[in-house]
Amino acid sequence: MISRRTALLTGVGAVAAAGAGGAFLATREKPEPAAPPSTDKDGRLLWRNWSGIEHAYPAERLAPRSEDEVAQALKTALAPVRVVGAGHSFTGLVPTSGALMSLDSLAGIAAWEGDEAVVWTGTRLGALGPELAKHGRAMPNLPDINKQSLGGAMGTATHGTGVKLGAIHSDVRALRLATPSGDILECDAATNADVFQAAKVSLGALGVVTQVRLATSPNRRLHRRVWIEPFEETLAKAEARWAQHRNFEFYAVPFTGLCANITHDETDEAARVRGPDSDQGFLEALKQLRNLLRFSTPLRKAAAKALLGSVEPEEAVDEGWKLLSTERPVRFNEMEFHLPAEQQLAALREVVATIEAKRPDVFFPIELRRIAADDAWLSPFEGGARGSIAIHTYYKDDYAFLFTLIEPILRRHGGRPHWGKLNSLKAPDFAELYPRWNDFLAVRRRLDPDGRMLNPYLKAVFGV
Amino acid sequence: MKRILIVAIAALAATACTPPAAKPTAAELAVLAPGDARLAELYAGACKTCHTNPQSGAPLTHDTEAWAPRWKQGEATLLDHVVQGYKGMPALGQCAACTPDDLKALIRFLAGKGED
Repeated sequence: MISRRTALLTGVGAVAAAGAGGAFLATREKPEPAAPPSTDKDGRLLWRNWSGIEHAYPAERLAPRSEDEVAQALKTALAPVRVVGAGHSFTGLVPTSGALMSLDSLAGIAAWEGDEAVVWTGTRLGALGPELAKHGRAMPNLPDINKQSLGGAMGTATHGTGVKLGAIHSDVRALRLATPSGDILECDAATNADVFQAAKVSLGALGVVTQVRLATSPNRRLHRRVWIEPFEETLAKAEARWAQHRNFEFYAVPFTGLCANITHDETDEAARVRGPDSDQGFLEALKQLRNLLRFSTPLRKAAAKALLGSVEPEEAVDEGWKLLSTERPVRFNEMEFHLPAEQQLAALREVVATIEAKRPDVFFPIELRRIAADDAWLSPFEGGARGSIAIHTYYKDDYAFLFTLIEPILRRHGGRPHWGKLNSLKAPDFAELYPRWNDFLAVRRRLDPDGRMLNPYLKAVFGV
Repeated sequence: MKRILIVAIAALAATACTPPAAKPTAAELAVLAPGDARLAELYAGACKTCHTNPQSGAPLTHDTEAWAPRWKQGEATLLDHVVQGYKGMPALGQCAACTPDDLKALIRFLAGKGED
């Protein structure tokens, strides 16, 4: 986000400002959250999501090596059968007392049809970029994190940013679905069209999507720019930047009065490789400022502005898949809602004001993106473009306030929650938010009448 | 102000100096992999990204100095940390298909103790 040197300056500056006692306070680290045992009383191995707040002890662990094995397992494995990729979802999509299925062995590009790639859904996004690049192609857009499986990212409507760029599932032109009855359905806009519209974003509730045919774009180099400026300046210019740039997002940093802006635009310039990732250093600096100055918001803002306000911009030029999506070594929990675009900035103001008034423990930046519309039935972007607001909390910190303080703001502004991120909505709420909700439920009942794919979380989501 | 801070960084760096230890180079990290094909696949998918990135905070593959204090904790503790997740390390290294034996073998490889 900013250079490592600057992050270091920030951290050291905060420490230096307060002397040895301050250094102790600034660098004081909370203990690790209590972990569940590695095995349960029956010797079953623990599964835990990336952030650590969801866990289970599946009775069976499956790693099918063919589509036929997937279909057979769906018929015979102990229910509920849940599929897992990187475990990056913060909601309870994965936990099961039955069978946990990994598609890691079903990965890679299976075939090409013109410029459309037929891809196994166990493929991790970070591995797909270089494979597509060998053919001079790329995914049109990418989310921030590249560890997710393609199937998991698609099934939760995971997205990047860009007003002309849809979420990952919007680039799916066809898919193969292994159903709970062990059948394989080929689906596209003409064949099994209702299943196609339901399955593109389906939370793993209809069976297992084994392959998708993905539209790709030329593997262009992108010019990446990152800079920091005052909060109000960013908000005043945000709409123009979304209109101007291929990709634009910004991070509002609570308790600093600042935003970090990131743009990507296509270019023919020679590559200028991005330096070592500095996000971890930046977050550590913000955490130390929190630890040291949380008692005084004015002082915390003054220190942050003095240390971050004049940071030099960063630039890089490289192929898009190398810049748009990266590792995230610092674990966190997250709530993200997708709002009508015209509501996004007003809602952000409320969120920042609420956090700064009531939650001095927060230090993670708030991410704002814009996503183009699509027509998948359970897509949060169905019916119109949306603006997303994502609030993060360090994995050791409390996140309950997201439900009590933040979610009401985002819902009041018409937000739909990200399917993989924290929210408290249930079936009646979703029925109000999604015009094709009942159509989806009908397809789900037809394909999985016994609810073999439903764990307790999904039963609450679907009202089963 | 920044000059003062840079001096502070330099001072910190000077006091932090310790005798150099043999660490794997970036070129070595790029090609290090278990000999066993299955383990190599799991390593590439679950371990390599963080354990070859000095910025991740994870002990680097075959960095025996970084691994020494961890190895002293014993295999059971290290396995618990991997299965449960620990600090920046996500549970199971995000490898849902890994068995405990896979994880033990990967720990041994990462620590430069062989693969047996």
